[in-house]
Amino acid sequence: MNAKPCFERIALLAVLLVGATTAAPAQVRRATITPVGPITLIKNATILTVTKGTLPNSDLLLRDGKIAQIGKNLSAPSGATVIDATGKYVMPGIIDPHSHMMSDATNEGTLSVTSMARIQDVLNPTAPNIYRAIAGGTTTLNVLHGSANTIGGQNAVVKLKWGRPLSEMMFPGAPPGIKFALGENVTQKNNATVIVQGQPARARRYPTTRMGQEEVIRDAFTRALDYKAEWDSYNAQTAKGVKGLVAPRRDLELDPLVEVLEGKRLVHAHSYRADEMLMLLELSDEFHFHVATLQHALEAYKISSEIAKHGVGVSTFADMWGYKIEAYDAIPYNAAINMRHGIVTSINSDDDGRARRLNVDAAKLQRYGGLTDDEALSTITINGAKQLGIDKKVGSIEVGKDADVVIWDNHPLSVYANVETTFIDGEIFFDKKQDLANREAAAKERAALEQEEAAQNTKPGSRTGAPAAGGTTNDQQQEKN
Amino acid sequence: MALSLRLAGAVAVGAICAAPLAAQRNTPTTYAITNARLVPVSGPTIEKGTIVVRGGLIAAIGAAVTAPADAQIVDGTGLTVYPGFFDSYTALGYPAPAAGGAAAGGGRGAAAAAPAARPAGAANSNYGVGLQPEVQAVDGLDPDATGFDAAHGAGITTALTSSASGIYRGQSALINLRIANVNAILLRSGLTQNVGFTRGGGGGFGGGGGYPGSLMGVITSIRQELYDAQHYRDVKAAYDKNPRGMQRPEFDPSLEALLPVLARTQSVVMQANSEREILRALDIAKEFNIRMMIAGGAEAGKVIDRLKADDVTVLLSLNFPEKGGAAGGGGRGGFGGRGGGSPDDPEPLAQLRARVEAPKLANTLAAAGVKFVFESGNNYTGMLNNLRKATNAGLPQELALKAMTTQPAELFGVADRLGTIEVGKIANLTITKGDLFDGATKVAQLFVDGEPIIIPTPAATGNGGGRGGNGGGQ
Repeated sequence: MNAKPCFERIALLAVLLVGATTAAPAQVRRATITPVGPITLIKNATILTVTKGTLPNSDLLLRDGKIAQIGKNLSAPSGATVIDATGKYVMPGIIDPHSHMMSDATNEGTLSVTSMARIQDVLNPTAPNIYRAIAGGTTTLNVLHGSANTIGGQNAVVKLKWGRPLSEMMFPGAPPGIKFALGENVTQKNNATVIVQGQPARARRYPTTRMGQEEVIRDAFTRALDYKAEWDSYNAQTAKGVKGLVAPRRDLELDPLVEVLEGKRLVHAHSYRADEMLMLLELSDEFHFHVATLQHALEAYKISSEIAKHGVGVSTFADMWGYKIEAYDAIPYNAAINMRHGIVTSINSDDDGRARRLNVDAAKLQRYGGLTDDEALSTITINGAKQLGIDKKVGSIEVGKDADVVIWDNHPLSVYANVETTFIDGEIFFDKKQDLANREAAAKERAALEQEEAAQNTKPGSRTGAPAAGGTTNDQQQEKN
Repeated sequence: MALSLRLAGAVAVGAICAAPLAAQRNTPTTYAITNARLVPVSGPTIEKGTIVVRGGLIAAIGAAVTAPADAQIVDGTGLTVYPGFFDSYTALGYPAPAAGGAAAGGGRGAAAAAPAARPAGAANSNYGVGLQPEVQAVDGLDPDATGFDAAHGAGITTALTSSASGIYRGQSALINLRIANVNAILLRSGLTQNVGFTRGGGGGFGGGGGYPGSLMGVITSIRQELYDAQHYRDVKAAYDKNPRGMQRPEFDPSLEALLPVLARTQSVVMQANSEREILRALDIAKEFNIRMMIAGGAEAGKVIDRLKADDVTVLLSLNFPEKGGAAGGGGRGGFGGRGGGSPDDPEPLAQLRARVEAPKLANTLAAAGVKFVFESGNNYTGMLNNLRKATNAGLPQELALKAMTTQPAELFGVADRLGTIEVGKIANLTITKGDLFDGATKVAQLFVDGEPIIIPTPAATGNGGGRGGNGGGQ
């Protein structure tokens, strides 16, 4: 049991928490999202910009997928859809910096280094949890590989454009990342064999200690340096005009590690204990790479100064602890303490479903640590955006940023808050009223389909004439076929 | 290399074949099917005529043809004769994979599904079992293994077959379905390279094997091996040009086998059913500029533009999802199937929709100009009924027939010897009681390589499990 990745336990918890409010998204048709023109004016709302304070009784103009104007008494341009948001709240779309949603596979856990595995290859754009997440105000995810091995696979940053093909969901320009993992999930050391539910037992895999994890990373980067040298030499000689050289073998495992060394790929490191986090920071000094975030980092509060000095972000939980040995020293003040040390701190779901309730997690940080509204909201918006290198585009309500905004019926830090409308790039992907209408349409469709199916199954094969053969008709059909 | 492999196969099966060959010595080889309705596909239907089969070939066809004196007469009254049907993608002749073996989704953390039966590995391979494109389907073929009875019941006389397990499953074989020496029933070998998004033969994560253990690793393995083959090709070319001063590149049978794929002289058949599986396959094809066919294709209707743009032929499965079946795959709950649904819950609308849409797909593809031929999806009991459902849903009957006969014959390069009933072609015939597209029409008899095969009634055989392709924990 101890070998289970942490998110599995958390998923169970989430079932208890949100099970009752789980919508039935399979009944929502893809084609019924309300089309909105390129211009939308949201009137008279309380705008929670996160970075520029709270603006009461203000208007927000969305144009061509961007936030075009923020102010009072804005006049609607011609062709604009106007939404009266009196008494309502508008905040930036929530960003989940650690998600396991949409993925047909989470762990390539067979080897200690699986940097060649890519989440982007296994994303499922039809996962019903996407719809549930946008119904909870979440618009962007960092979908990460699991924590089964020291160096895991490559991440994918997506916008939750429900109903669209995957190509439209990939966050344009988001820097690529990779998952590292330290500690118990990797060592799996309390079992001689590893039991994963529904699968045969297998022998434990190196490394089974934190020492081994350090060695795995050191070895991988040493190999990556050799590989890089090989390519650098080839490229240099080719640039000099040397002909007839054969390019080195392309190694999908080492390519992303070279990118890490070159500062082109972000490291998101699953970690719990202070000692293992320090180990990774020291290794990053040694190999001159940067750790973008420590994920979970429940003991980060013990080493906040060291983390701040390295310019590393922390993405943690609000109040989950004690679910395994390395989570015993957690305190719910972790996020607040890190923030007070100047660390860019975010809250994540580490789950495939919990992204729909991140506003509640942010609110908990006010109970534990006394964060201001803006600080609490920043943990689920702009701070995640900074950690993912997408803060120029999303994470706050500022002119010029992507129109990823959400209208709430209450202050989003209230447990009574519900999402009314979710915009991504200026388009509506969730609307509460539309959702209710969709349920009716889905019931009608179901009835029609059931009728059609019955007809398909009873209709006898009807001979409508002998198959024509030969002649010109045939050739045309052949062409078509 | 292909020749030597085939010789090895001949030695292996030699002992088995001695008896049937001896038994055949006294069987007649000339047949006349008289008074039958004849649908040659290559020409107009003959409402009443005779076909003469001699020495495994079609000797004569026509309304005015009379049976030769030495022919054994098959009274064709009430029967309709078609060219033998093709199954364009199957694992016939191989041990059946474990149920759901083709699933590629699974919930979080899960690798594919239960491990499929392991194929034997190739000798001297640098790559693990399941990643050996040099494997020749014909070498592992055992015509007695599963029996061809079920396929015969669906009128199948010719099949493109390969192992159904592994990632690189090896090179398929086109065979005529009769029980005989493998070499005697082989029409073409090394026709396509068959690939699936399944785990490696080693089982991967939890299966006692190693990498790859998840769909992520599987896709990366497919790509890495193609990159390796590109590198191998380039190193070999450099060495062949000027070996002096250069270390001799090591021979690699796996990468050698991928060279025709890179050169676009051999197509890759990817088994892919869901929209996202098909796109994953086409993305690989694009990355390496390889020719690809999609087998299964349950959601091909959702990617028509891409299939057309990439000039991809679909080997479309006639194994339609059934109510209560596992088609569409995976749990429905948001937590990787963990939560599941109450048995009282209505089934997901998407599942119902998929079932109702399945029979319409062939006509949708035809109307859009996407090339397709039919395959069984290893479900022979429902195959012809589903073919009829497709025509009821709008697919013109003649197109349906062509997708079982002339189209696969052309696709697999045997149109000069199979696919129609014409004099001189191989005598593969599918004979039904009544018209194929009438409600309850059953296959009565086949000729395969001129050899008559009577279909016993009723046949409760077959069904290789649901199409497991869609996967996904949703």
